[in-house]
Amino acid sequence: MKQLLSVALGVLTAIGGFVDIGDLVTSGLVGSRFGLSLAWATLVGVVGICLFAEMSGRVAAVSGRATFDLVRERLGPRAGLANLAASFLITVLTFAAEVGGIALALELASSVNYLLWVPAAGLAVWLVIWRVRFSVLENVFGLLGLALVVFAVALWKLSPSWSDLAHQVLAPHNPSGEGLPTYFYYAIALFGAAMTPYEVFFFSSGGVEEHWTKRDIRTSRLNVFVGFPLGGLLSLSIAATAALVLLPRNIEVDALAQVGLPVAVAAGKLALAAAILGFVAATFGAALETGLSSGYAVAQYFGWQWGKLVRPREAARFHLVVLASTIAAVATILTTIDPIKVTEYSVVFSAVALPLTYLPILVISNDRDYMGDKVNGRVSNLLGSVFLVLVVVAAVAAIPLMLATKAGQ
Amino acid sequence: MIRLRSLVIAGAAVVAVTGCVAPAPSPGAFEGKAVQTAKAALSSVDTALLASATAVRGRLPQPYLETTLSSAEDSLSSIQTAFDSVQPPATATSDRLRDTLDRLLSRGSDGLAQLRIASRREDHAVVAEATRSLQQVADGLDRFEQEHSG
Repeated sequence: MKQLLSVALGVLTAIGGFVDIGDLVTSGLVGSRFGLSLAWATLVGVVGICLFAEMSGRVAAVSGRATFDLVRERLGPRAGLANLAASFLITVLTFAAEVGGIALALELASSVNYLLWVPAAGLAVWLVIWRVRFSVLENVFGLLGLALVVFAVALWKLSPSWSDLAHQVLAPHNPSGEGLPTYFYYAIALFGAAMTPYEVFFFSSGGVEEHWTKRDIRTSRLNVFVGFPLGGLLSLSIAATAALVLLPRNIEVDALAQVGLPVAVAAGKLALAAAILGFVAATFGAALETGLSSGYAVAQYFGWQWGKLVRPREAARFHLVVLASTIAAVATILTTIDPIKVTEYSVVFSAVALPLTYLPILVISNDRDYMGDKVNGRVSNLLGSVFLVLVVVAAVAAIPLMLATKAGQ
Repeated sequence: MIRLRSLVIAGAAVVAVTGCVAPAPSPGAFEGKAVQTAKAALSSVDTALLASATAVRGRLPQPYLETTLSSAEDSLSSIQTAFDSVQPPATATSDRLRDTLDRLLSRGSDGLAQLRIASRREDHAVVAEATRSLQQVADGLDRFEQEHSG
């Protein structure tokens, strides 16, 4: 019974923790411009993140070591350093977007300007990382993030034509007025938002923090294969409510407030309060994950002591990197740069860096020296290779499409 | 070698400086920019109208309404600033196009400010008046977009 509860908790946490500011904004924006005709990109992204998160979880459980620990050893210090530099910068950019997201969500609840919330949000994130136990930190915000289920409730209350929605998903088309480059630019943004690299850094490092062994592989798979797809459904619900309420009114999402409006229209104040709670929890949880991931990446590469299970004094350099990343994230948003723009750029640059994260994972999870009999099977390798081609295509196309479409305008 | 390097640096400087001065777009490109501007402005105005209507039905809390309206107002203001900074081509049609859209954008900005102020004061009569005025702006922007699209 206790084990069942633990599995259920893990799955629920994975659902609630799947959505972050990138998913919130990109799903709302795409739903308001393209309806559900880009749902395929989210679905493909969810399959990809499941595939690679499972591999990274398995690597952590079998080897007891996290991603960057092995990347340097397997790829060598130079390639590993290039990988670290790109991944670290994108993780900090995503961290800044999440801090901005927390502030924007608090502004919705208080009408106090988000810039005033930014330092408080940064301080709260750092304090939680510093003081709160890993299991609490992981579970509480994941569970609170489940409040975003209210988007599914709102979708149901809007009484849509389900066959029409299904048709949009199953027979995707480019709505008139939107150029093909813009369509594919947002497809890559959705793909990047679903497969954000920090998710696997956090997942594998979390596995090491929790001392996963081979016996935990089944639990890890359940979390990934049940939790992440259900989290993906939350993203689709956000897109669907935007498609039903905002698209017919010519509203294109460029603010977090617009993402929540369909919930208020469909289900009123209480539901909107749940949505705001979900926004805060999702962005706060993701800020913790990105903040920790920045420390994990650097500390694992350089072989420093890292993690939440040792006392801060014993992992001083790890905590210093986390603190410096927090300051950088807060400072970025305090420049008054639009947090929504930071979010949009973070998901696109994530797409650019995807091969740097996922190629090493595929290589290591096939290495018998590390994995023994737990190397990838044929299906994992086939799917992993297909997805590697996809992430390379997305990475190569992202910047030219961003320039050609003026970032999706 | 030093001369070649100086030439390269001077060339790069010329390219950088001339690149900072945006040339006037062609009449067609200007019309395209105007349509994109109208579309973005319509999104801001319609956001405010939807938020206001939802609040009137008692479904939107005051802080959320205020934030949404402020955000729509800021958004429209930056859209207007960006459009006004574009040098129109020297044709009478382009000047008329600019005047028409600029009037709509100014009326939209005024309407959004009026709606925000009235909403904060919970002055329902002024909210209704501002909503009517904004609806006219939204209709005008929609017509503008239809008339000048492809």
